Order: sequence, then structure tokens, then C-alpha cells
Amino acid sequence: MARINSDMGGARKPAPWSVADFYRLLAAPPALVLALFFVLPILGVIWRGFSDPAPGLTNYRRLFADGPYVQSLWLTVTTALLVTVLCLITAYPVAYMMARARNSVQQLIGALVIIPLWTSVVIRSYAWMVVFQRRGILNQALTATGLVDAPIHFIPGNVAVYVGMVHIMLPFMILPLVANMRSIDGRLLAAAGILGATPVQGFLRVFLPLSMPGILAGSALVFMLSLGFYITPALLGGPRHMMAAVLIEDQANRQLDWGLASALATVLLVLTVTVYSVYVRLSSRVDGGLAHGR
Amino acid sequence: MGAELRFPLRYRIGGLALALLVTLILAYLILPQFIILPLSFSDRSYLSFPPTGWSTEWYRKIAENPSWGEATANSLIIGIPAAFLSMIFGTLAALSIGRGSWRSAGLMSAVVVAPIMLPHVILAIGLYPIMIRLNFLGTHLAAITGHTVIGIPLVFITVKAVLAGQNGSLELAAMTLGANPWQTFWRVTFPMIRIGVILGGILAFASSFDELMLSLFLTGAGTRTLPKLIWEQLNEFLTPTIAAVATLIFAFTLVLLAIASGLRGLGSRYQVKSHG
Amino acid sequence: MAKHGARISLIDLAKSYGNVVALHPTNLVIEPGEFFSIIGPSGSGKTTLLGAIAGFTPPSGGRIEVDGIDIAGLPPYHRNIGMVFQNYALFPHLSVFDNVAFPLKLRKLPRAVIAERVGAMLATVRLTQLAGRRPSQLSGGQQQRVALARAAVYAPRMLLMDEPLGALDKNLREEMQSEIKLFHRKISSTVLYVTHDQDEATAMSDRIAIMNGGRVAQCGAPRDLYEHPCSAFVASFLGGANLFKVTGIENRGSGAVSCRTAQDHVFDAVDPSSGSRSHTSYVLRVPAEVIEIAPAGGEVTAKEMNRAQGTVVDAIYTAGTFRYQVEIGPAEPVSVRRPATHRATMLAPGQKVAVWWPASSTLLIPET
Repeated sequence: MARINSDMGGARKPAPWSVADFYRLLAAPPALVLALFFVLPILGVIWRGFSDPAPGLTNYRRLFADGPYVQSLWLTVTTALLVTVLCLITAYPVAYMMARARNSVQQLIGALVIIPLWTSVVIRSYAWMVVFQRRGILNQALTATGLVDAPIHFIPGNVAVYVGMVHIMLPFMILPLVANMRSIDGRLLAAAGILGATPVQGFLRVFLPLSMPGILAGSALVFMLSLGFYITPALLGGPRHMMAAVLIEDQANRQLDWGLASALATVLLVLTVTVYSVYVRLSSRVDGGLAHGR
Repeated sequence: MGAELRFPLRYRIGGLALALLVTLILAYLILPQFIILPLSFSDRSYLSFPPTGWSTEWYRKIAENPSWGEATANSLIIGIPAAFLSMIFGTLAALSIGRGSWRSAGLMSAVVVAPIMLPHVILAIGLYPIMIRLNFLGTHLAAITGHTVIGIPLVFITVKAVLAGQNGSLELAAMTLGANPWQTFWRVTFPMIRIGVILGGILAFASSFDELMLSLFLTGAGTRTLPKLIWEQLNEFLTPTIAAVATLIFAFTLVLLAIASGLRGLGSRYQVKSHG
Repeated sequence: MAKHGARISLIDLAKSYGNVVALHPTNLVIEPGEFFSIIGPSGSGKTTLLGAIAGFTPPSGGRIEVDGIDIAGLPPYHRNIGMVFQNYALFPHLSVFDNVAFPLKLRKLPRAVIAERVGAMLATVRLTQLAGRRPSQLSGGQQQRVALARAAVYAPRMLLMDEPLGALDKNLREEMQSEIKLFHRKISSTVLYVTHDQDEATAMSDRIAIMNGGRVAQCGAPRDLYEHPCSAFVASFLGGANLFKVTGIENRGSGAVSCRTAQDHVFDAVDPSSGSRSHTSYVLRVPAEVIEIAPAGGEVTAKEMNRAQGTVVDAIYTAGTFRYQVEIGPAEPVSVRRPATHRATMLAPGQKVAVWWPASSTLLIPET
């Protein structure tokens, strides 16, 4: 039942067939969609930063002249950094326990991590508002126990932003850490013990270095997400803690200064891509990490 | 045994301390969501401990205000098509990159995943002028487009993970047995990845349902989504009606999560391991 | 039963990936209905070869002719081949019956015909009772049999097998080897069997091709390859051979030669090329089972024998055989394999012994 090639005898040799060719065709539709509705818009934003209201660097000059914009960018970077560090410190013990626990405990912790992940960010930020507001439960507890005389104005404010952002970002740090830790062979630690290491030494010298790919992946993810974060800083930080995304939205929607907004967005884009490239460079030296498409 | 003696009280306390710390952190992680629950039933406009009384007043307010129903409808009208489109394009991308032996597979994956890694605000202000030009802005199409773009990476990641779990030999086998590429996809590949596709679709839907930034720019008065309405309310009046809405959404989220977990459990039935 | 298998001809078949040559231009003819094995170390090109015939690896050059028709341009689904994979590649979402019926459904055969053919095939592999199970519920050996059934149910004229028994343990492997051999006799298509296990290939095949570095080193019936290897590589790959590096050769007429080894032993040997030697370096090959061994002083003086004195370095007993390692010179180990008959005493390490073997079993072959 083999199909005989009809152009036999004297015709040119048929080109060899390859499985991969068929699969390559499938890339066309998503490529088109992403090109039109992802790449093109971003290019448009970059372009607008240089051309609205007039071609040139006016927007960037305004941005980088001493002023609120530079402050906001600086604040964005420092906040993202702080949130990443706090997340790492908080997430590591949880990930450690989850990776080494019995199956039932693992599932439980997993559920407790996944549920917030699926809950709307708006809702979670709102929950923190409820906690931190003037008549919120935190202030109630503080005044009731006499720790403070009057309710503290947490919102708008830095503490609330950090607490809120760490809360939102924590699952994004925990999951890559766990994924990496699970692959660390427990027998390595047992071997270290046989060779004479105390549990603490075993942890510091064997486990911690091996968990580096997870640390890098989680940190990169949280850092990038924090750079561009809008909802929580907007709700809990207000005008005193204006992060880049909040500023951009304000410039675009309210001030209607699309040129400046685009320039800001371009800077944010460059920052995010830079973080990603640094991550890729570092992780290729460390082995393992976020999905790389191979 | 010597091993037991090496673990004096010090380490046991250390282990206990770790467990305590983790419990505290987990409490920090899970409790805030549940705070809105009692607030939505409170009879005052703020949450107090001990609670002063219960009432379903805020839930009634939801029913009274048609905006909530409208916004929910909009969220569904936008979310469901966006999820479907994400499923289609995300699956195609995953198949192509996963089985197409591209030299730049890593770069291509990064581009496909980029929409969820880059700040949504950039995409939002980038899509806005394009939606104006296409005349999508007054309709749901603008938001559907934007939500599809951020949904594609989610489907891509889940389908790619499923594909990676089985090597391509199943498809090669089908082709040696006489199946052309379309038949191979439909009879072999798709049944295998079906669960991943649906899971990705649910993720994409959940992401669309929660998406605020794109909705701020791409929806208008008639197409306002639920997150946008909540946002407007949050910035104007801070009543527990929002808590009631949030509780309902939270319940809905838990249902979606349960479905997704159930699917994931089903999916593991399809891992064939040879016992030899 | 008439042989219904295809004749496969590879003409200058080659495959390169950029600068790396995976397969040098290769010529092979596989006769209809033959059980033909391809063995070799990893990287030898055997998987590439199979991939080219199956249609997954487009060749860089040459032709693949099946019954005279060049199939290189055809996709796998038009080549009408059957293939069994190492990991079985059974469709997990289908039952055993549906797995085997899959190719028949593709060919749009009527349901009754499908049921009959699948039933017959399942009976052949003795899995009729398990027809309703899913692959995940079967053992490795059972899955392998399903894979066989599925690959053969549409009577392809050639069956390709890519290390199908690699995942099974030793006992199961031997059982499956007989199964496959039996199966081959029943379906009588041409079988192309790739494996890294030379014992497996030797046990099952009509002919074997040994590959090395992208080329066919030697091709022939198992016994021919074993008794007349054409190079040291072939001899050592098939195992059980002693190889002595040769430093000097003296012709003694009609294919007989006298050779000096690196350790200055002089052995008489047979030169299969009868004096027309064209390679640069040669070795002497002596199979381990033709060497006799006895404590020093107890040797047999007989004509036409090569002999040497040495010390036992290692002595092992395995399932009915004594295996000795004897050193007849510094760094010149000799493997000796003797049947462990009931009364024979095993020699001990450190014992001084004499070894001897027929010159006619000593083969002069090129090193590569």
C-alpha cells in the first residue's frame, strides 16, 4: 500500500521528507497574533516616547532631569529589590519544608500557596486595605492592647506596600524554589552526614548551593513582576509611594501626556529586559532555572 | 543507635522552630483572603474584632445595583472567548516549538512567554492606539484581544510541560503506522495534551477575570469588567459591598481551582510507565 | 510460507549534521524475509540508519530502495513500514485492542475485518485476555508484545525494531528474544533489528551488520563474523577474542604466516588475504574457547600448535565455565574459557601454567 511516486524515471530526485517541517508551519498563527498585538504595540510605545509631542529626546530629558520621575524610577527599583529580598527570606523556609515534607504535608502547604496565587490581586490588595485601614483590625489590635495611643496611618505608606507586595509575590518565589529543591537528591545530604557534616554544615555547604538555580529563578521572577506592579502600590502606596506603573497609568489616562508615559514605559521595559538578561547570563553558569524552551 | 544520639535537643528544637516559622508565614499567606469573609457579613461598614453583629445587607446591595451584574457579564463575555483564543494559539505555539526542532527555540519561547513577564501597563498603552485604529475600542473586542495576548503564555507553558512529559516517539509511532500529520495530531497528540490545553484555558480565563490594567485602558463604559468596577468603587467609597463582591469572586476562584486540580489529577493517569 | 518481506537496498546512503558525519556513504542489501541485525557502539550510526529507513531522518545523500522503489522522498506514513520502539510507544489513552486496531482504522477497513485481524494478531502474541486493558496496566513484556502486534497487524513488508528489549531485565529479554524470533517466522516480513547487545543479535539474526564510526565494519552471518572477523574492532566487539599486536610477519606460503608479537612471542597463523596485505597494522586473533590450559609441565606437544608459558592472574567460575586470565608476558593477558566439566579442578591465581592452541584458529587481521 505504499504510494508510488508518480514522477519516477528521469524526473529529479524528490526532496527528503522531515517531520519537523509540519510542526514549523504551526508557528505561523501565533506568530502573527503576537506580532500584531504584542510586538507592534511595544514598538509603538518605544516610538511614541521619541516622537510625541515632537520628534526628539524631550520626553527623556524631562524624565531624567531632577524631579519626581527620576525619584519614582529609583523608588520602583529599590522597592522591587527590597520586596525580592524579603520574599526570598520568607519563602525559603516554606519551600524548604514543602520540598522535604511527607506527601500529605506537601499537598497541604501546596494548597495554601496555590489558593492565594489564584485569588485576584485586587481582592488580596483590598484585604490588606481592610487590615491596614484606620479602623482596620491591625489598628484595632494595636489600640486595644495599648501598644499605641492612636491608630497609625499605614495607608498610604511604605510598610503597607511592602507587606502587601511580599504577600502577593510570595507564591512566585516559593514555587520555583520548591521545584528546584525537589530535584535535590536527599542522599547527598545523607552522604554529607556520613562524611562528618553536622546538619547545619550540610545545609550551608550542600543544600544551599544546590538550591541556587531556584533562588535565581524565583528572584528574577519576583523582581521583574515587582518592577511593573500596579495594583498593590496604587492601593496601598498612594501618591507618596508612586511606582513606575502607577505613574505611567496616571500620565496616560489622566494627564494625557502619552509621550512622557511612553518614555517612562520604555525605561521600564529596558529595566525589565535587563533583569531578564542578567538572569539568563547568571543561570547558564549555575544550571537549571525557568523554562527555557528546550 | 549512634545516629539518634547525634541529634540532641538542639536540633529537635531547631526543627520545631522551623515548623513554627513556616506556620506563621503560611498564616500570613492564607489569612488575608479570609478576612474579607467576615467583613462581608458584618453589620458595620468596617471589620471589628470581636464582631458586633451579622447582616447580609452588603449582599443585598449587590443585587440592587445592576452595575455588578453588568460588569460580571462583561468579564465573562471577554474572558471566555479570550480563553478559547489563548488555548488555540498557545497550543499551536507549544506544538511548534516543542516538536519543530527550531534552532532558536529558547528565544522563541521567551518571546511567547514575554506578555506575562513584562508589565501589563506597557502592553496596555501600546494596544490602546491600535485598538482605536481598528475601531475595537467601543466593543468587547479590544479587551478580548488584550486578554488573549496575556493568556497565550499560560496555555503555552502548561501544554509545553505536558508535551515535554511524553517524548515524540508516540507521534513517530503513529506516523509509521500510517497516520499523516493531521491524523497524528488529532488521534494521538491532542488526546494526550487535551488536559494541558484545558488546564491552560482555565488559567487563561482566571487571569482574564482578574485582569485590571488592560481593562483600565481597553474597556469603556459599556464594556467595563468586574475588576475595573471594583477598582472604581475602591477609589471612591470603601464599603463592604466590595467585600461581598470579593467573597463571591473568591468562592468562584476556589471552584475554578478545584476543577483545575481535578484535571491535573486526571492527567497523571496518562503517564505510562513500563514495569518490565 | 512464501517470503512476503521487502528487499531493502541502501545505495550510498549518507547523513551529515553540518560538519559531523553520522553516516558515511553506506551500501547494504537486505534480502526479503531476512532477520537482519545492525549492531555497534553508541554513535556508530545504527540509529541514524534506522531513522533514515523509517523516514524520520532525511538523508544527506544516497538512495533507499524498497523493492526497487526509492522511498527517500516519502514521509513515514506512506512507506508502509512497521516499527517497534524501545519504549514501546503505546498510546496510553487507547486500550490494547484499540492500539492494535489503530493502523487498520487509519486504512478505513470495515469493522468486522478489523476485529478479525486484531483478534488473530492478539492470539499470535497471546494477549487475547488483556485486549481491554490500558497499556499502563501491563507489564513491560506484555507492552512489548502489544507493540509487536500493532506494528505487524497491517502486514507491512518490513519491520524495524529499535533496541526493543533494552528496557527489560535479563530473563525477560531472553524470553522475548524467542518470542520475536517466533513472531518473525509467522509473519515472514523482513526484519531490521537494531541493538547494542551482540549476543542478542547473534542469537536471533540471519545476518548481522556491525557498524563503527558511521560505517559498516563487516556484514555477514553471525558465525562468519565470529570465526572470520575482518578487523580487530569486529573481533573485540563480538567478544571472547584475544588480540595480540603484531610487529613482524613472515610469509610461509599458501596463506600461512609466522608472526612476531609485541612481547616477542612467535606464533603461526592463517592470513585470510593470502599474502596481499594492504593495512599498516595487524593483530592476531585467538578465540578464548580454543585455548587449552594445564599446569606447567603438563602440556601436550603436538604439531601445528602455538604455545606459551604464563601465570594465572584471575580465575572465575560462571555457570558451567571456567574463565582464566593468564599472563604470558608483561601486559599480555590471554583469556581462556574452558567448560567446567564435573571433575575438573579450577586452577588458582598465581599458578604457573602452559597454554596452547591450534595455529589454524589463529587469524591475522587488520587492526581497524
